[in-house]
Amino acid sequence: MLKEEFRTHSSYSGRGRFLSFPAFVFILAMMSGLTLDKMTDAVPLSQLGTFAHLSSFLYGLSVGAFGLMGREYLERRYGRSNYIVAMPYLLPISFRTTFLGIYLRDAIFYVLLMLLPATLGLIAAAPFVGFSLVSIGLLFASVLMAFMFGLSLSFLASVVYIRNVMAFFALTTVLAILFVGQGAFGFPRLDVLIPSLGFQMNVRPFGDDPTTALLHAGAACALAVVFAVASYFLVEVRISISSQSYPETLPTYHSRMTWLSGLTRTLVAKEFVDLRRSGIIAKMFFSFVLPLLFLSFTVWFVNYGLAIPVGFNAVFYAAMVGFVAVLMYNWLNNIDLAEYYSLLPVTVPQLIKVRMLVFLLLTSGVSAFFVVAIALVNGETNLLWLALVVMFVTSVYIVTMTAYLTGLKTNSFLFDTSVLARFSVMSFLPDVCLTILSFSLLANWVVALIGIAIVLGVLSVTTLVLYRGIPTKWGSASF
Amino acid sequence: MAVLDARDIVKDFGGMLALDKVTLSVNKGDFFGFFGPNGAGKTTLIRILTGQLAPTTGSVNVLGVDVVKEPLKVKELIGIVPEVESPPTYLTAYEYLYFVGKVRNLDRLEDRIEQWLTFFDLEEKKGTICKDMSKGMRQKLMLASAFIHEPSLLFLDEPFINLDPIYQRTLREYLEQYISKGGTVFMASHILEIAERLCNRLAIVNLGKVVAQGSMEELLRGGDSLERLFLRSVGIDTRGE
Repeated sequence: MLKEEFRTHSSYSGRGRFLSFPAFVFILAMMSGLTLDKMTDAVPLSQLGTFAHLSSFLYGLSVGAFGLMGREYLERRYGRSNYIVAMPYLLPISFRTTFLGIYLRDAIFYVLLMLLPATLGLIAAAPFVGFSLVSIGLLFASVLMAFMFGLSLSFLASVVYIRNVMAFFALTTVLAILFVGQGAFGFPRLDVLIPSLGFQMNVRPFGDDPTTALLHAGAACALAVVFAVASYFLVEVRISISSQSYPETLPTYHSRMTWLSGLTRTLVAKEFVDLRRSGIIAKMFFSFVLPLLFLSFTVWFVNYGLAIPVGFNAVFYAAMVGFVAVLMYNWLNNIDLAEYYSLLPVTVPQLIKVRMLVFLLLTSGVSAFFVVAIALVNGETNLLWLALVVMFVTSVYIVTMTAYLTGLKTNSFLFDTSVLARFSVMSFLPDVCLTILSFSLLANWVVALIGIAIVLGVLSVTTLVLYRGIPTKWGSASF
Repeated sequence: MAVLDARDIVKDFGGMLALDKVTLSVNKGDFFGFFGPNGAGKTTLIRILTGQLAPTTGSVNVLGVDVVKEPLKVKELIGIVPEVESPPTYLTAYEYLYFVGKVRNLDRLEDRIEQWLTFFDLEEKKGTICKDMSKGMRQKLMLASAFIHEPSLLFLDEPFINLDPIYQRTLREYLEQYISKGGTVFMASHILEIAERLCNRLAIVNLGKVVAQGSMEELLRGGDSLERLFLRSVGIDTRGE
């Protein structure tokens, strides 16, 4: 399974490029280690540790979220490949055993891909900045626990979703209430929600209380194991072959989309049928809203937890919403195989553009709702027009840039270091500019407004250039 | 008149030579059989001839169109049935044919859909989504989607696979009728008994090279069977049989 996962990823970007991804992480971690002194001037080490910890938890959560696709893997051949996950149907091996294999595969593969190279990067920086190897080891142990906790929780949520959608929503609602409660009122404590954080904060260099640390570590490990074991026993062992007959939805959608014409109309109508029947829309919404909730928490944490006086406002939020929305484009590329398109007079760039359009149709309403809500809650209706413009321009820019860089295989190409590096720079730079400028709105609104206009202008021009470049870049690509 | 003319096709997959200077031509009205052992390069060649894959070097002309330069135009003119049946997971049989018809901008679409659903006995299952269909049903649907626009040239990669004997016969009869009306078929198949009955010309490929090509009459002169010709062409000794 590990070999299969490696070959799947490396088949898109090439073995060398894929292998350079952990090298990229290693270098980034080493540079962070070397400049830690400067960073701690602005943000205390304990807060950096908390962020690293939360990131690792979210990483585990997102790796496990691929499990949501599990049933689709079983029910169809994935392109020209058959995955070992389908083996229970061919070999005398139980589905639970295969499921356990997937869990262990993900744990090992993604630790080797990110957490281990990051730790090695810190070890490489250690001789120059005087880090204790014991502290780095303890940091690795704690982020590993956070990752496994997130991964197990995500697997459990996936299994619950497949068994009962209502139970899944109940579970995620409880989790959302707990995290929102922590963000808004500081209750429950973060080290209770994510026990491994308690371990980290009670060992060197953050603290020195081995008993409390061990208690937290025990709780973190126990919860991860309990979630994983529960997933193992709850996983559904039958495949859902339905004899259901569906109405002719495609012609209905097609006839309703009078505002579109020709091939675009047909392809968009088909995408909406896929969205409806695959049930993926709920997963997409979940993966869109969860980061937004996390963003709310982060903003609260920066404002109140760290007590850093930043001018958080609706414009900042709008920019973030635009950037977060790109996750939805990735989902659109994972709904179904696209191989049959190669038999028809349709090109890859045409389908890319259709998916960009579907992305905008899906996200614009939700994003606008979020921005309007934040503006109302904060009493910033005077900034609403600007926030909506920022949201729209950044959304269009980020989806065009992602589509240009990754085509129809977003997941895979983002593991190609050269693509990832370009993606990081092209999303990070405007993000930072808009963040700083939005924070400056209260201090000097004229300068901030001119700055934001310039950034949005540059983004719009870049969007146009990239959009026009899609046919050249992807014109000869296969589906 | 040649409706397909491929010259010196080479396909190199990063050091793995799948096709090595393949040259062949197919005339209007031919039922052209393309045979070879597993991994010989048959599917790769079909993907190149139909504009799904670009050759490393070489030229392909199909129905007067340069496939390398204008793959989209070629796909408008031809019908393709791939080796692996893979219609869209979440569309019903009716919807997939509707989708194909709209993409191809066909007139009388309702009539065409009804005709092909009836022909392949998919009427009762027209509301079933492809994910829930059997392999045979999916194969019938792929065949219907390739025939629906009445192309003058068909590329069929293992068209009889997954079909029961009843529909193997139905399909065989349809293809014979299609040829008699002036259509052309390029077919790759391992079912040599059917191919021997249908094809008038053929090529055999082995290790990426065409090792035999010509009319069935020429190549089977002396009472040889297609199976023996095939085995001999790929280097298997049949003298003892």
